[in-house]
Amino acid sequence: MSSNVQQQARRQQQVEALCAAAIRALSGRSDLHFRGKQLYQGEHRLPMYAPHHRIDTAVAPFADCRAAADGMALRLLYSDAELHRKSCPEKPVARLVFELLEQLRVETQVPAHLPGMTANLEQRFSRWSLEFHRSGQTESSSGLLIYTIAQMSWSRLNARQVLEETEDLIESTRFSLASSMGLALAGLRHHRHDQVAFIPHAQAVAKLVDETLESWQEGEDGSNHERQDDDDDAQQNFALLLDFDQEGDDERFASARSGTSKALGESRQGYTVYTTAYDREVVASDLVRKAQLEEFRQRLDTGIAEQGINVPRLARQLAAILATPQYDGWQYGEEEGRIDGRRLAQLVSSPTERRLFYQDRQRPVADCMVTLLVDCSGSMRHQSESVAMLADCLIRALDIAGGRSELLGFTTNAWNGGKPYQEWMRQGRPPAPGRLNEVCHLVFKEADRGWRRSRRDIAAMLKGNLFREGVDGEAVDWACSRLLAREEQRKILIVISDGSPSDTATNLTNDAYYLDNHLKTVLARQERQGEIDILGLGVGLDLSPFYRHSLATDMSQALDNHLFDEIVQLIAQRIHRS
Amino acid sequence: MTDLASMKPDTLRSVRELFGIDSDLQVPAFSQQNDYVPEVDEAYRFNPDVTLAILAGFTRNRRVMVQGLHGTGKSTHIEQIAARLNWPCMRVNLDGHISRLDLVGKDAIVVRNGVQVTEFQEGIVPWSLQRPVALIFDEYDAGRPDVMFVIQRILERDGHFSLLDQNRVIHPHPYFRLFSTANTVGLGNMSGLYQGAQVLNHAQIDRWNIVAKLDYLSAEEEAAIVLSRVPSKDTAQGHELVAAMVSVANLTRKGFAAGDISTLMSPRTVITWAENCEIFRDPALAFRLSFLNKCDATERQTVAEYYQRCFGQELDEARFME
Repeated sequence: MSSNVQQQARRQQQVEALCAAAIRALSGRSDLHFRGKQLYQGEHRLPMYAPHHRIDTAVAPFADCRAAADGMALRLLYSDAELHRKSCPEKPVARLVFELLEQLRVETQVPAHLPGMTANLEQRFSRWSLEFHRSGQTESSSGLLIYTIAQMSWSRLNARQVLEETEDLIESTRFSLASSMGLALAGLRHHRHDQVAFIPHAQAVAKLVDETLESWQEGEDGSNHERQDDDDDAQQNFALLLDFDQEGDDERFASARSGTSKALGESRQGYTVYTTAYDREVVASDLVRKAQLEEFRQRLDTGIAEQGINVPRLARQLAAILATPQYDGWQYGEEEGRIDGRRLAQLVSSPTERRLFYQDRQRPVADCMVTLLVDCSGSMRHQSESVAMLADCLIRALDIAGGRSELLGFTTNAWNGGKPYQEWMRQGRPPAPGRLNEVCHLVFKEADRGWRRSRRDIAAMLKGNLFREGVDGEAVDWACSRLLAREEQRKILIVISDGSPSDTATNLTNDAYYLDNHLKTVLARQERQGEIDILGLGVGLDLSPFYRHSLATDMSQALDNHLFDEIVQLIAQRIHRS
Repeated sequence: MTDLASMKPDTLRSVRELFGIDSDLQVPAFSQQNDYVPEVDEAYRFNPDVTLAILAGFTRNRRVMVQGLHGTGKSTHIEQIAARLNWPCMRVNLDGHISRLDLVGKDAIVVRNGVQVTEFQEGIVPWSLQRPVALIFDEYDAGRPDVMFVIQRILERDGHFSLLDQNRVIHPHPYFRLFSTANTVGLGNMSGLYQGAQVLNHAQIDRWNIVAKLDYLSAEEEAAIVLSRVPSKDTAQGHELVAAMVSVANLTRKGFAAGDISTLMSPRTVITWAENCEIFRDPALAFRLSFLNKCDATERQTVAEYYQRCFGQELDEARFME
């Protein structure tokens, strides 16, 4: 994973955090957040179909993301989603136009006291227009038609001139549309404050576009095929515009891939496991020779010393967010407070002595437990040293801050399904066998052992051949059940992972997203129960498709205090919002 | 001043005339001023609901508690009503160190005829109780709940007050009134904003007859207040600026409610900002000095986003400015 990609993921996360904060403040709804480049309200995705706001938060300039955020906020404020959904035409082209018009309508509703928002939206629209035009999409007749409609409606709704650069280009289309669309356009402008009255006019425009395109298509089918070949590219781009339910799983960017699992959806029992006979839970240090463990620990110590991480500072930061002051006994020898009877004799013997009082004593108490769950799948092997250092520093800091911590890992006992797979083969390959591998849950450090006593055990993470495949959903469930059994009041689970769940045998015998969807189900369930705060720490990867609260980190470079600052912030945010 | 105890409200005034509120109510008022009456602030804007609640306290002898976030002008609201009614007013700021002796009174040594004598001196509560005074307990939730039981009896309308030190029972003056202001509703510091707010005893909260909530005003009203406090901004350009400032403040409040930032701008902050604009001649610089520097470093970018929306300008704190 190149650090460039990681930086991009980090930037995307920051952009999304800022945009989400702006949308929350503008719309006054607090349950909005980004997940995998999409805005979600609670568990529901809020799609943005208007073409000029379909941007990729990972690469788009920040100003565009801002405008998209503003557009979204306006949509939430001024558009009734239910009404919109009901009146939406079914045909893709008509739907595209209808979505576009509704978005343009709400964008005229910017409150007068937000001039910055008006500017953001206006600039975005003209930038989009230019991009659309310059990418050659206006060269196809359908592209030009959509473009002209967008320009005409925007200019009419905002009572502004159309974009100068393309004014001549759209002139003829505009002219031909003028008579059939005139009435509807006037209606759009007139009813821009009233969604109900606006809808029939928008529907009329959508229908008109759809019919025009259809009539062209019929004409084309009969005559010139060459022309179609010419604007193949444009056609493809146009098809992309019409693609409404795309999930944001573009491979170019470091976002965890995700999709829908058929096997899991159709299975009546939900997630199943073929056999648990070979699963095990082991203390990781038992798998490593003593002498080797010692060597690993030394390597870890040298590594940490080189990084220059300020653990006491980290401990103070953690204490500040995790600890709450509690009354705990008395403090004697104070200069004010209640009189301490035992010191009266002292007052008689030395009248100038003033420290005769006692007061309530307040102490910060961190009544919390943090579990670090590390994905020990094969790809994490290269990062194992960084992750071990990270975990070691966090555990040490938590120890100083007075919190409890646990370090767990998950992997499998074998590659490619191991014994369950052979058993499954012997049984004659029954369909949809469920999870087909022997999972191995590793305990590196238990909560009740302090850092000092488990130093060596933590080093077991450096043993490379522990790293095999990963079944995330079950591991998260396992870590949560361990956490729930604890009596600490605040429970935090931090999952460190570099990818979606992967297990070759399970994926082959079910489908690619079987484990993936189970992880989502588990996380959604835990989130609903709300007893544990679950945070995702992506190693060079944006885990937001899975984890509601996540952070993409760059572990290929040296660990630095900045990374820890961000982790602390992530924990703090979670606490702040709960 | 000697006849303060014998004074009583002697006229009726119209609420519409005094507070600009659409109501036919007539309220008793004093025709004469005295030293205890606060000064009238002509610029003060009255929130209709809260004003009516406080007036109910004055006219019908109800115990009124005004609750709201900081900087919304809770205490000032009561004071300004008292000022317009010419009603004598005492404001007591509570804190965790106010003790029973401060409120009730204590024995003190005084010199009388050249001789030292020990004499009981009344505290603020018995003193006010015997006079037509509106007693305001400011930051009521900062007082220790165990100490606040001192006022448990007088929270009843005709509750008498026993001075244990003197075996004396004080009957409240018929025009004695009691008010309090608090940031929380006695449930402690839930939002993390009010360090030191106590969890109050609900047997006592229950005795307050009226709990009025003073929230932030509408954007127009707030802008009007800012303009009345900073009259030099009363130009077309100034109006626009103040409107933008108020909308930044509103975004910070919504952002606070959503948990994105941990500080928010009170109307007081907006006024300070407007005043600082006069000094520094640059809204962005004045904003940084009046509010932004109070925010956590990690939250400044979010606030910068709010600022960009309202002013259309970037702050230096904004991120990703390519």
